[in-house]
Amino acid sequence: MRIDVARPWLALAARLLLGGVLVVAGALKLPDPAAAARAVRAYQLLPEGLVGPVAFGLPVVEIAVGLALLAGLFVRTAALATAALLVVFLVGIVSAWARGLQIDCGCFGGGGQVDAADTAYPAEVARDTAMLLVALALARWPHSRLALATRLETATP
Amino acid sequence: MSTSRSAGKKEAARQRIAAKRAAEAAAQAAERRRTRVRIGGAVGAVLVVIAVVVTIVVQTSRSSVAADAARPGNTSAGGNGYTFTVGQADAPVTVDLYEDFQCPVCKQFEDAAGPTLEQLATAGTVKIVHHGMAFLDSAQNDDYSTRALNAAAVVASTAGPEAYETFHDLLYANQPDERDGAGLTDDQLVAFAQQAGATGEDVGTDITDLVYGEWVKGATEQASKDGVTSTPTILVDGTTLTDRTAAGLTAAVQAAQRG
Repeated sequence: MRIDVARPWLALAARLLLGGVLVVAGALKLPDPAAAARAVRAYQLLPEGLVGPVAFGLPVVEIAVGLALLAGLFVRTAALATAALLVVFLVGIVSAWARGLQIDCGCFGGGGQVDAADTAYPAEVARDTAMLLVALALARWPHSRLALATRLETATP
Repeated sequence: MSTSRSAGKKEAARQRIAAKRAAEAAAQAAERRRTRVRIGGAVGAVLVVIAVVVTIVVQTSRSSVAADAARPGNTSAGGNGYTFTVGQADAPVTVDLYEDFQCPVCKQFEDAAGPTLEQLATAGTVKIVHHGMAFLDSAQNDDYSTRALNAAAVVASTAGPEAYETFHDLLYANQPDERDGAGLTDDQLVAFAQQAGATGEDVGTDITDLVYGEWVKGATEQASKDGVTSTPTILVDGTTLTDRTAAGLTAAVQAAQRG
């Protein structure tokens, strides 16, 4: 298959992957707000006054960006927002790793506190880096199949 | 000749005008599309901001601990109301224990070094400060972490910190499996509470009704604010114990005593 034929389908796959992960990751942080706050606090990067707003606001942003990607609206903006979120997450995880903190990343909900010293920094960094590359590629080539934005454009006279 | 030439010119002019009009129409359509996208983007952004603000407000109230929550008695003197101290007040070394009753590594520590720690407390060398946490609640264990810490607070409140220590040891000796265990039942917790010396008539209902449920949330929050991110966290005079064996504990306490 030629690349200009395959590219919109690859962009669709990237949208579904990133959008799906973001919506799930955001939704899992909503049921237990106290645990979400503990997860953010465990990074020891933010003053106490910002822990709540970040812990409770971030999942909404994740879900909003994820829904935009799934629907295919503002794909380039949403891909850039995804990349920005992932850079923030990577900075948090790498800095926790570098400082020797023993925490769970809280990426998909959960409390930040780990039962034993079972941290998983290399896997978390590898996963977020891979997703960052996909997000940047999508921002470069945002044109994709089954995007709502294209439908709206062609539907208008 | 001249007529047909002028007709050709007119035709060319008409085509130029038509092309210009088509271009203008296309430009207008593109402009309208850009405006629609801008409006759509602005509306979307406003909706996201509203959703973020509403969620922050709702989640803040959901996660905050009620100010009028019931608090257990017999907590550490001069403490933050979330700890229980066992041992002599003038003991030279302080050992802070951050534990969750459902945490298996806490049980490993208790099995390995619990008796040594209590001997050191009895000898007057250390005082033990218990910081309870409850973050391993699940549907399988019927929120065992919360039920167990609430029961421990009931025991301490009714019968004192020494009874808390006894109850604490009983719960670790009988810890249910973290992954497929169903937690201990409330009846079992009440039986252990009585065994530990909490015999008041309210003990049963206080355990069943989670009378200190809000306090348990506050205690878990406090541990998080203390910078504790994993259990067990054991501090010997403020230094984290890494070798969680009886020998490791004894060595750390001796080092703390030497100053």
